[in-house]
Amino acid sequence: MQFWSYLIIRFVQAVFVTLLVVTIVFFVSRTVGNPEETMLPPLTTTTEDKARFRELLGLNDALHVQYGNFLLDLAQGDFGTSWRGGGTSTLDAIGDRALNTVKLGVAGVVFALALAVPLGIIAALRRGSSVDWLARFVAVIGQATPSFWLGLMMIFFFSVQLGWFPTGGAKEGFRSLILPAIALGLFELVAIMRLTRSGMIEVMDTDFVRTARAKGLSERTVIWRHGVRHALLPVVTMLGLSLGRLIGGTVIIEMVFAWPGVGRLIIDSILKNDFPMVQAAIIVLAASIALVNLFVDVSYRFIDPRIRTGAA
Amino acid sequence: MAAGAADAVEFQPGMRRRRIRWRRYIGLSIPALIALVVIIAGVFAELLQTHDPEFIDLGARLSPPVFDGGTWAHPLGTDELGRDIYSRLLHGARVSLIVVGIVVPGAALFGTLIGLVSGWVGGMTGQILMRVVDLQLALPAILFAVLMASLVGPSLTNVIVILLFWTWPSYSRLVRADVLSLRERDFVTASRSVGAAPWWIMRKHLLPNVLNTIVIVMTLEVALVVLAEAALSFLSVGVPPGTSSWGRMITEGRDTMNVAWWPIWLPGLTLLIISLTGNLMGDWLRDALDPRLRNLR
Repeated sequence: MQFWSYLIIRFVQAVFVTLLVVTIVFFVSRTVGNPEETMLPPLTTTTEDKARFRELLGLNDALHVQYGNFLLDLAQGDFGTSWRGGGTSTLDAIGDRALNTVKLGVAGVVFALALAVPLGIIAALRRGSSVDWLARFVAVIGQATPSFWLGLMMIFFFSVQLGWFPTGGAKEGFRSLILPAIALGLFELVAIMRLTRSGMIEVMDTDFVRTARAKGLSERTVIWRHGVRHALLPVVTMLGLSLGRLIGGTVIIEMVFAWPGVGRLIIDSILKNDFPMVQAAIIVLAASIALVNLFVDVSYRFIDPRIRTGAA
Repeated sequence: MAAGAADAVEFQPGMRRRRIRWRRYIGLSIPALIALVVIIAGVFAELLQTHDPEFIDLGARLSPPVFDGGTWAHPLGTDELGRDIYSRLLHGARVSLIVVGIVVPGAALFGTLIGLVSGWVGGMTGQILMRVVDLQLALPAILFAVLMASLVGPSLTNVIVILLFWTWPSYSRLVRADVLSLRERDFVTASRSVGAAPWWIMRKHLLPNVLNTIVIVMTLEVALVVLAEAALSFLSVGVPPGTSSWGRMITEGRDTMNVAWWPIWLPGLTLLIISLTGNLMGDWLRDALDPRLRNLR
């Protein structure tokens, strides 16, 4: 019962956060640029044309009226029409790209988790071993490498020189995904591994682990039930935290690898002053990030029972 | 940060009269030396440069570095517009110094404060603070940067504001997670039961216990901030054209990547070495600050 009311409260909060983002994006983007100057051909356009154009787009209404209409449309699932490309629905355009961004993001995180968690745990349990040194080496180098530079270098070596992978785009399916996923995931890999390792070292030295050993539990139980569960707590926080960074990362990686995702769509649309597209894309991204953060907070309650529901 | 570090060292009894073990400082010497070089390079860029970093000399396009068949006129070669790479690297160091110097301490201070308060106070105040944190997390910095850049044009101030905005919530969330856990522990309950003031508990019980987390995060952040500035400049929403930044140099070197390695490799390697240095110093600091971790080695 308490859990459900907690969940509902957190959900309302997530909606509130999304609404705040919508508001900020709306007011910031409406004060940028001058659509009738940038979108109509400069020489052949008359003043009447411009006026008609503004009227057509509803740009003559007061800002708060535009904002009200905008929220109303959103509530009805109408995210607006792109000002470019012959009036495509922005939601459709985003939908076409979203899968690519999700693919890239998931591939990056899976790559990171699959290597980071086992490496971090082993490195912590066998401090000073070769695995620990390898983990540290990967951490030190991986953390220091700029992802976009790494991306460019990988394109240069693996695509241009060796021809193993395409130089960009998403046309070759899985083969196109490998380089971007590595470039995107490397930083997360290091962050996750460091946290897993330091968390593991810390927890294996605590009294409750000593107690668990003292009462004769097998080492495996001690490590998994008492150690890993505890050590993964900051990792879960970290994953939630890194989602915004990950999305930011996809923008960079999508620009490096010409990956047809939402990030590239946003950058392209901003350069083209396509406000509805930018708005819609940022709202969709913000809403999904808020939802994932909600999920992280909720899963927290399961992993760390010391946090009392409702106390926070 | 300095005050917090002093607190944590003092907090451990029996540490004060320890002999200084010089061997422990060896690990710090190389990163510290590199950091010193970068600071000197950034501060005295005008004195150390051989050319104006933005001077275009099309006659000397893509001249290779001196160790790859170039001349001493351009020790590290030139880019596709004939600009001197050595001089540009120096001025790039200044940009990074300014950004890191303002963003990292600023974000750590603010983020930790918010995290401590929201974790300890809880209730309505804590909730409101965490919603603000969520808000920052829900709007990816790069999108915000692009919006800002199109609003007022790309600028260094933009970069600093955006990165401050972007980095402080990391501290808050992690500190809060720690505090939520710590406040249920016996030593905190005991303090509270004998009537310790909240700020005293925060300073003496909570802060020393979250310091490990803060130092690890700050470690990540120095590198992160340097790389983020470069990434923003790479996307042309960071420092404006006409300013030498390592990120901009990489973008500009991209087109000639297949014919000349130096315009893209040199700033890339510089970035790598700088963030490596930041991380190594942070690691050393962590080992020095947290005796519990050190004794495990």
